[in-house]
Amino acid sequence: MPTATSSKTLPPSSHAFADIIHRLEAGGSMLPDTPDNLKQIIGIYKAYAVPMDFYWRGLLYISERVFLNPLPAFKYFISDEYLDRPNAYAGDNADLRIWRGQADAHPELREFMAKGELKRKLPKWMHHLWHDRINMEFAEACMQAMFWHDDINPKFNAYLDSDAYKANADGAIRAYFKGNPAMLGLYKLFPDLFLEQVKRLSYYANLGLFWEVMAPVFFEMSDLYDEGKLTTVPEAMDFLVNGIFAIAGRPIYHHLYVGDECYEIIPKSEGFTWLYEAALPYVEAVFYRTSPFRGTKSYNAQAGQVPSEPKDFHYGILYADLFPVGSAGIPPTLLMQDMLHFLPDYLVEEYQQHTRGADDTLIQLGVTFQRSMYNVTSAVIQALRTALLYPLDDPNPQHLKANRDFFEQQLDRFQRPEARLKDIQQQTYR
Amino acid sequence: MLSPLIWLPITGALLIAFLPTQMTAKQARSGALAIAGTVLLWTVWLFTQFDLGNATFQMQEFLPWLPMLGLNYDLALDGLSLMMVALNSLLTWVAIYSSPDKTERPRFFYSLMLMVSGAVAGAFLAQNLLLFFLLFELELIPLYFLISVWGGPKRDYAATKFLLYTASAGVLILIGFLGIAWFGHSFDFSYESVLQVQLPLQAQLILLTILIVGFGIKVPLVPFHTWQPDTYVAASPPVAIMLGGVLAKLGTYGIFRFGMGLFPEAWSIVAPGLATWATVSVLYGSITAIAQKDIKRMVAYSSIGHMGYVLLGASAFTKLSLVGSISQMVSHGLILALLFHLVGIVEDKVGTRQLDVLNGLMNPLRGLPMVSALLILSGMASAGIPGLVGFITEFLVFQGSYSVFPVLTLCCVVGTGLTAVYFVILINRTCFGRLDSQTAYYGKVSADERVPAFVLAALVVVLGLQPSWLVHWSEATSASMVAAIPAAETVQIAEAIPESKL
Repeated sequence: MPTATSSKTLPPSSHAFADIIHRLEAGGSMLPDTPDNLKQIIGIYKAYAVPMDFYWRGLLYISERVFLNPLPAFKYFISDEYLDRPNAYAGDNADLRIWRGQADAHPELREFMAKGELKRKLPKWMHHLWHDRINMEFAEACMQAMFWHDDINPKFNAYLDSDAYKANADGAIRAYFKGNPAMLGLYKLFPDLFLEQVKRLSYYANLGLFWEVMAPVFFEMSDLYDEGKLTTVPEAMDFLVNGIFAIAGRPIYHHLYVGDECYEIIPKSEGFTWLYEAALPYVEAVFYRTSPFRGTKSYNAQAGQVPSEPKDFHYGILYADLFPVGSAGIPPTLLMQDMLHFLPDYLVEEYQQHTRGADDTLIQLGVTFQRSMYNVTSAVIQALRTALLYPLDDPNPQHLKANRDFFEQQLDRFQRPEARLKDIQQQTYR
Repeated sequence: MLSPLIWLPITGALLIAFLPTQMTAKQARSGALAIAGTVLLWTVWLFTQFDLGNATFQMQEFLPWLPMLGLNYDLALDGLSLMMVALNSLLTWVAIYSSPDKTERPRFFYSLMLMVSGAVAGAFLAQNLLLFFLLFELELIPLYFLISVWGGPKRDYAATKFLLYTASAGVLILIGFLGIAWFGHSFDFSYESVLQVQLPLQAQLILLTILIVGFGIKVPLVPFHTWQPDTYVAASPPVAIMLGGVLAKLGTYGIFRFGMGLFPEAWSIVAPGLATWATVSVLYGSITAIAQKDIKRMVAYSSIGHMGYVLLGASAFTKLSLVGSISQMVSHGLILALLFHLVGIVEDKVGTRQLDVLNGLMNPLRGLPMVSALLILSGMASAGIPGLVGFITEFLVFQGSYSVFPVLTLCCVVGTGLTAVYFVILINRTCFGRLDSQTAYYGKVSADERVPAFVLAALVVVLGLQPSWLVHWSEATSASMVAAIPAAETVQIAEAIPESKL
């Protein structure tokens, strides 16, 4: 079990987060290893996995089927085909079966989609208008963040600007609007507008494929915890690190289906991979940056309250203040609402015992989500260190120093006052 | 008919204090609440027996006590007393209900609360000047203990200051009452008899001045107010409710009953000066409230301003302004009690009353959203927003006073604007903004804690929407008081004074 001690061959770090750096050097996570932390993060992974199972199916449905529908009023009403769509990494007939679990939509998700929070079977549009549904808006906000922060995914974005992509997109657009002279006419008048929308849809596909991996990972972690096979926070982190490496090279692509015809807008053969073109940009865009969301605070850009450079944005979950203001909230608020429906019993019980119990479960689960995402970020940091630097038990002090510099550089980003790294070190932060 | 309003609480107080059984804080509170509830129901029943068209005293009770001193047990009720007694009964129940379950030395606490309530009810009903004085003084000692034992920081200082000021007020009031006997050559202190005494105008002016200063300390009016913010801040919320909601009204009640009622000619002469005094109080209270950082102190200064409206209406002594003033006493009592109760909850949950520290309490999940909503409602009511009880009472005062003192009335209207300013500051800093996620682990507000606030808020709204339920009880009394004052003379005096001096 990792301990929070410095490497024997290096002097202790003088970084503001020295203890956490020493913990990372010992193979641990940024999140302290306590039974309560483990229970919280695994419980929330399970609650996250169910809506995530919907998000990835919905994102792929929109990118592959809804596509450029000028009136996409029903884009969140995904078809049965997509609910039944087998996950590529779970289920008996998976392309690459890595994780347990079933291939089609999770039973809890299906039940919720049918009856919602009301627990009554009503027409789909009524559940939708009553907002008794999974908030796909959260998934779209994450996609938008990845799309908008265009400096974090250079290879993928370069391809979106390439002639090959334009040609593929052009073919797809023409096929999609075949027999629709009005839209084809508009396309002729404003080709860049349509192309920009297709690029956005490519990010729908990108994020959908990323979450297609993460959903079964989280389901399996929950199962392992229930079976007593995940007993520490570092074990949970290692499971994620191993998963990242197992899946790192899987393709990121964007296909469009018009009837039975498939149009490859981003072919698998372009070599975009899950780790570099989806996972890392996702972590950077969603965990760290995102954007100053409307409704949470009155940001005054003229007064310098919003950084001029998007790379300086720090509004992600690792920094977020989870208290909604009035009825508004940051995108995690929507996710928190989604996760609320799928909390395991032990987490419901845990929340009952703290602060205001059932009345502020949303906030408590948001804080838990924050903890769990610090653990996921730890897994990403450890995975990057493994990929780019040296083993933690490397005998060469220079290599260990390089590892430490890397960890310190990563943790520098949490020295901002709004970062929650300090908070999650305390069990009382709820 | 009226005695139960005095003796039920006093007997209850003695029972709770001396019953030779073990009693938990909860039991003592339940007992006190039952007694206060019975008194409240009795008061409601009195409303059903009250003859609206009768401007004279009703439900008279007389028992000779010490006739050679002119002191008798003489009680009666008119529209003014009825409103004050109702306010006292309601706010006693609210104050006891809002007392925490874990109050220390509960038997002593609830006994004193009931003792205060009984004494105050007696003072409002007394038809004998000495009886009034005795009951007026009787509430002083329990209140001293309520402040000094259960108060917050600086409670000893505040309690002593309260005692000194109120005792001084009592001395002045006694001098005033004895002066009436001395100048009138009669030692019959019954109110009806004193009304018949014809005093020279000069004597009236001297006695009226003494009584106004005496009661002015109790109200309080500027510059006799300095005890009030310290006392309200130091007192626990239930005691502050009694102090601000009921006790302050003893001062204005005294001015109405024994100032205006006994010396109508002198009153008509000093009225312009009183109106100016009222305006100074209104503006001083409101402007000083703006500068406060402690919510309770802000509410205390706000109270000084609002009691000024009562005096303005009394100074104008038109029927409308008097009805407005009497209703304003009730309205102010309800709103102030609501504010003190809510501030008490905020202090209990958040641990501070400082505007610089409080923020974002409207947050639906971790804040105090219902308390914040009610705080906004009470701020709106206090600022005289239409549809709430504060609007109608202030409007009546202004409408009734404008024809007599236009400039001073307009200055007081500015005071309501200033009320809106400090309540916007209070609400903006307390309820809105961003709740600090690092510190916001406040306890939940229980349904029990909300009940008094809901009762008061409902009255603030209902009486604001249906003001006749509030004002018609005192219409006949107001009309008879106005009739007793030589109004024409006042108008002449008012007209004789250059407007610039108003």
